[in-house]
Amino acid sequence: MPRMNDLKKILIIGSGPIQIGQACEFDYSGTQACKALMKEGYEVILVNSNPATIMTDPEIATRTYIEPLKFDYLKKIIEIEKPEAVIPTLGGQTALNLALELDKRGVLRDNNVRMLGATPSVIEAAEDREKFRTILDELGARYPQSEMVKSYDQGIVAAERLGYPLILRPNYTLGGGGGGIAYTPQEYQTMLAQALHESPTSEVLVEASILGWKEFELEVMRDASGTFVVVCSIENFDPCGVHTGDSITVAPQQTLTDSEYQAMRDEACRIINRVGVQTGGANVQFAVHPLTGERVVIEMNPRVSRSSALASKATGFPIAKIAALLAVGYRLDELKNDITKVTPTCYEPALDYVVTKIPKFAFEKFQGSKDLLTTQMKSVGEVMAIGRTFQESMMKALASLEVNQEGVPDIHFNLQKISYPNSQRIWHIFQALRHGISIEQINDLTKIHPWFLEQLKSIVDFESKIKSSDLDENLLLQAKRKGFTDARIAKLKNRTQEEVSKIRRDLNIRPSYLQVDTCAGEFASSTPYFYSTYWSQIPIAGSTKPVVAVIGSGPNRIGQGIEFDYSCVRGVKALQKLGYAVAMLNSNPETVSTDYDTSDYLFFEPLTAESLTEVFTCIKPEGFIAQLGGQTPINLAADLQKNGFKLLGSTMETLDQAEDRKLFSQICRDLNLRIPQSAMAGSITEALKHESTVGYPMICRPSYVIGGRRMEVIENKQELQSYFMRHMDFIGESNPCLMDQFLSGALEVDVDLIRGKNWMMIGGIVEHIEAAGVHSGDSMGVVPPQRLKPETQEKIETLSCALADRMKILGHLNLQLAIKNDEIFVLEANPRSSRSVPFLAKATQIPLVDLGIKAQMGMEITQKEKEEYNWRSLKKICVKGVVFPFKKFADSDSILGPEMKSTGETMGRSDTYSDALVKAFASSYLNLPASGEVFLSLRDKDKEPMLPLLNNLKKLGYKFSATRGTAEFLNGVNIDCQQLNKVHEGRPHCVDRIRSGQISFVINTTQGRQSLEASFDIRRACTDYSIPCLTESDAAEAFVMALEKSKTGRIEVSALL
Amino acid sequence: MERCFLVLEDGECFEGTCLAQQKHFPERAGEVVFNTSHAGYEEIATDPSYFSQIMVMTAPMMGNYGAHRECWESDKIWIQGFICLQMQESERENSWQNLLVKNNVPVMTEVDTRRLVIKLRSQGTPWGAIVKAVSKDEAVAKAKKLISEQKQMDDDWVYLCSRKQVEDIKGQNPNGPRVAVLDFGSKQNILRELVLRCSQIRIFPSRTDAKVIADWKPDSLMLTNGPGDPAQVKTAPETIRAFLGKIPVFGICMGHQVLSLALGAKTYKMKFGHRGANHPIRDELLGQIYMSSQNHGYAVDDKTLPSDVKVTHRNLNDQTVAGFYSAKLNCLGIQYHPESHPGPHEAAKLFDYFINSMHKGNKAEAKHYEL
Repeated sequence: MPRMNDLKKILIIGSGPIQIGQACEFDYSGTQACKALMKEGYEVILVNSNPATIMTDPEIATRTYIEPLKFDYLKKIIEIEKPEAVIPTLGGQTALNLALELDKRGVLRDNNVRMLGATPSVIEAAEDREKFRTILDELGARYPQSEMVKSYDQGIVAAERLGYPLILRPNYTLGGGGGGIAYTPQEYQTMLAQALHESPTSEVLVEASILGWKEFELEVMRDASGTFVVVCSIENFDPCGVHTGDSITVAPQQTLTDSEYQAMRDEACRIINRVGVQTGGANVQFAVHPLTGERVVIEMNPRVSRSSALASKATGFPIAKIAALLAVGYRLDELKNDITKVTPTCYEPALDYVVTKIPKFAFEKFQGSKDLLTTQMKSVGEVMAIGRTFQESMMKALASLEVNQEGVPDIHFNLQKISYPNSQRIWHIFQALRHGISIEQINDLTKIHPWFLEQLKSIVDFESKIKSSDLDENLLLQAKRKGFTDARIAKLKNRTQEEVSKIRRDLNIRPSYLQVDTCAGEFASSTPYFYSTYWSQIPIAGSTKPVVAVIGSGPNRIGQGIEFDYSCVRGVKALQKLGYAVAMLNSNPETVSTDYDTSDYLFFEPLTAESLTEVFTCIKPEGFIAQLGGQTPINLAADLQKNGFKLLGSTMETLDQAEDRKLFSQICRDLNLRIPQSAMAGSITEALKHESTVGYPMICRPSYVIGGRRMEVIENKQELQSYFMRHMDFIGESNPCLMDQFLSGALEVDVDLIRGKNWMMIGGIVEHIEAAGVHSGDSMGVVPPQRLKPETQEKIETLSCALADRMKILGHLNLQLAIKNDEIFVLEANPRSSRSVPFLAKATQIPLVDLGIKAQMGMEITQKEKEEYNWRSLKKICVKGVVFPFKKFADSDSILGPEMKSTGETMGRSDTYSDALVKAFASSYLNLPASGEVFLSLRDKDKEPMLPLLNNLKKLGYKFSATRGTAEFLNGVNIDCQQLNKVHEGRPHCVDRIRSGQISFVINTTQGRQSLEASFDIRRACTDYSIPCLTESDAAEAFVMALEKSKTGRIEVSALL
Repeated sequence: MERCFLVLEDGECFEGTCLAQQKHFPERAGEVVFNTSHAGYEEIATDPSYFSQIMVMTAPMMGNYGAHRECWESDKIWIQGFICLQMQESERENSWQNLLVKNNVPVMTEVDTRRLVIKLRSQGTPWGAIVKAVSKDEAVAKAKKLISEQKQMDDDWVYLCSRKQVEDIKGQNPNGPRVAVLDFGSKQNILRELVLRCSQIRIFPSRTDAKVIADWKPDSLMLTNGPGDPAQVKTAPETIRAFLGKIPVFGICMGHQVLSLALGAKTYKMKFGHRGANHPIRDELLGQIYMSSQNHGYAVDDKTLPSDVKVTHRNLNDQTVAGFYSAKLNCLGIQYHPESHPGPHEAAKLFDYFINSMHKGNKAEAKHYEL
């Protein structure tokens, strides 16, 4: 059946803010799908609340709504747009659940909207574990012993029958949210209560453990005529028990025989057909017993997913694009293979290489949370690497993590770290092998398949060989083929990396760049998607156009995520418009930038000086762009320039001025700009010397950090001492601690601007909602500013321009400023695109990245552009909302501070500030309770100033409760407040009341480490039960403003122009 | 580790490494072909269709899951050499590497297989030899000799691989037909698929006279896969013709090609053939598109097929003939491998089609069979 011609308008639902378990892979799939459908001539209506995505760029869809992914808003959009169809399978679990709700509540029927790709019955058959099991029974497929539990008591009985350990899987949650592994009855009881709460249907599958079984995943596609293909088989390095998103995975599968694999393939096909998936991508996960070969089905997802993004990058098969085209009626045999351009899309890619994915974790940011991997996903990003062999691929992936240039550095030997899954286990396995621990013993502890361990052992064995042999041609070639970085070889030989690189290049040992061609070389392919290998020698065709290289941002991590991919992709397009062939370099499979049709050359490579130098040597770019990918390319710029490649835009000197606190302070002094008092200290003794100059409160942090790692507000000497104690590994003479005066209560703003040789463009001023002290990435923000006086805004613009001129910025500059008593302080200058750039670009419609490219390429802008782009003429008020992952990190504290902890952002866009706030909160999945009880726990200095706010809440009909101090204060000012016990005052106490669901939201402000620790249980209870908890008075004010507005119940939506 | 060479007919050399266990290196010549299957190395090596061929695996890592006698497709290893990027270094006992060594098959690793495949796909699959030598010149000289020796053998490779004696196998379906199998170098799995569906199977050598087969009174005739050039297969076309239009005839791969010759069509050598487990087929008989397992270097020229034979199966990668069917003559030819091993199983339904549908049209006996 060809294209559906009775369709004109299609609605696509995005996945919203980046969260653990649902990240920028859905920007990749959604963007691909939108582009494909637009090309087919459909009107595409896109809804997504995430402004940091490429997909919400106005040109990707016909009309784009940056609105909350909530029923009411979607209903309104459907009523306005009247689309004929909705594709719910491209925006992850969020879109799937939302589409189901729209169907159940009759919105689709009332508006004659068809669901394409998956029908409600299909979604339910796959997502409802009980229904899914019935299907498996009918097919004779096996699955682990389990019971669907709908109440706590039923759960307790089920556990007795099944025995420990037990796996809990709540129905309809993303990334295994609320699930986990319980080893003991105590653990189980707590987890069961939590899991029942997490499932929107209060159903939890309690499953007998298959810990230690081999885990596999098949990424499959099916078209309406029933043609079925397996795009990619994936094998998990980590056996069952670790969420597949947290596992190291390898493609294609390595350890199954053909007959075992084909049996699995057959079963996947039967399941897809029986579940009723008509068209599109899906995945099925299996577990296989390592000895008996017994196979069970774990689950299936009837939609594109994180692993389908990985599979697309691993094979060159664009799953999301094809899924979209199949949804509108095409068949696989009617579409051409994008890569070969000659063969049809109904094929199964043949790989002549091995792909390894390694997740990136952020446990260090969530103190108190144990580094332990379970069935609930915790990783915040991932890297992928391609090599000809598993070893080459694995070692490249380890280098791609940007943890250590050596890739597999020597670490402190700790066998215990192997015995349970954790984020560091892979390095501990290497270390154990170095210490002679046998494969059998490691297999016994980890259940990792011996094949993988043999591969790792052979790498470790080769380390000894490197140590004991001369660095001759044969040895170096072997080492490079095993994936050793120059840095690691240097370490083993006690030489410098530069020396090893020079010896290697003198011996002409260089990588070749092979094409990812979907067919193992069987057919000629012209798609320029490459990976490096030392196993082959094939030259690549040069470009007729001048080449510019854009360095991506590597794996997503907290502080450096999708916003930078947005900049990279926009940058690539802008450079292409200027006539350049663009080479994109990145290691992150989730992104749009690593889609092979984004750039003219895609190099899937570790973002290290060694890899990039080799690529640049091969493609000889005119220069490279380092301003778009966040801190990663900035940190690489110096080495690349030293190796003879041209940094475009701001020079190395400019970058250094921004990074080097001394140089930067000098510039500020020269320009008469105020900066907070500051000092540097390599030790506590030194720090105490500067104590009085800087004064308390102060902010301490080590130099060169992403997203404010280890940054803390220090209120007194005791805390300063504690800070140096806790972070002594990261502070020293060569990387001193920066101590800055903390401007308590100041208003913070982000400014983004572009400077060309003789022009300047202000992108806008984002006013933070939380006061100074909360990391800019964690703070809500609003543009245009709501509290800044116009003359202060003028002053900010003038000052920013002066600073940009003085620093000789060419391209982007992001400034963080604090305003206290109308005085402006410069906190930080980032000579690169920033987290706020996509937000501002969407809010103001100024193509900031495009202008940035013009500036970096030394070009002028037209008079028309100068007049057209004015951030002050923006028509809507835009509020940035923030999403946090605290729920995934048991025992972590949700208090906000100078270290960034959020994973994603949203945008609330409206005519009024209050409505924009409502949308930002709603988009960030913060409930706005219409009534109920507010629990207050306030520090003394907030009590008086917050009275108007509390009176307002009282007027709105909310009740209050508080612990004694606050309760007495409120009752004293004629606000009724129920007094509750503090935790140590005996039960029932305030935390019991929160956990029992009697509290609608909490306002909890604290001062000092001690009160912080005392109120931890309050915040944690809120996190566990999804109760809004405001930890900052300005945020509380914004929240109350939103509550008031949301009570009016008016829903308004508008598309970006 | 010692170096060895794959020398192609045109003199181009690809260097590689010998296994330490192959000190006395078994030097061999053969047609150099590549296969894109990810797994199934053992099935491939024991498939008689690969007779006199040096196998280049595009999947880089071989031997990962060891060796298992139960997946053999015949009782010996047929390939002339095994080339890949890396062999599993495991010392586990049932290793694939050990098995090849024990069977005296030359193994070459650390070969730039990607470059080799590009050469094969753009210039066609040439003859070549795997030799150990100290210099390229020595390698080329050795290879030349080996290649010319290997080419001395009989052109009818099917005859070389076919059974020389009749073999009887009892089927598992008492209600199924009696099927005569003309052995061109059969894979075990064709026989296994038949055993499941038939009451009795008798396997005849490739040059068996039609009369001998007819005397057994078969309900139908199965033509198996096999190696080499179909045009060189002696006597089989005449044998087949004796049954066409009388009993159902089902040919797979070589069987399909020889069937086409019996029908008066012509075959031709493809540039580099189809070898892999991911070839898309449009099957108009079953009304499906599916992935198939393929291994052939020759194909049927569709323009030469008689008008009452319909091309019912196409390879969607290059539109070559993947199968044909004649209702009038009740014969079916399938170019690829419905018996899989290795590869996807979708096409196994063609065996059902053979047993269910084609036997319904069996005019000679007018018997119906059920599975």
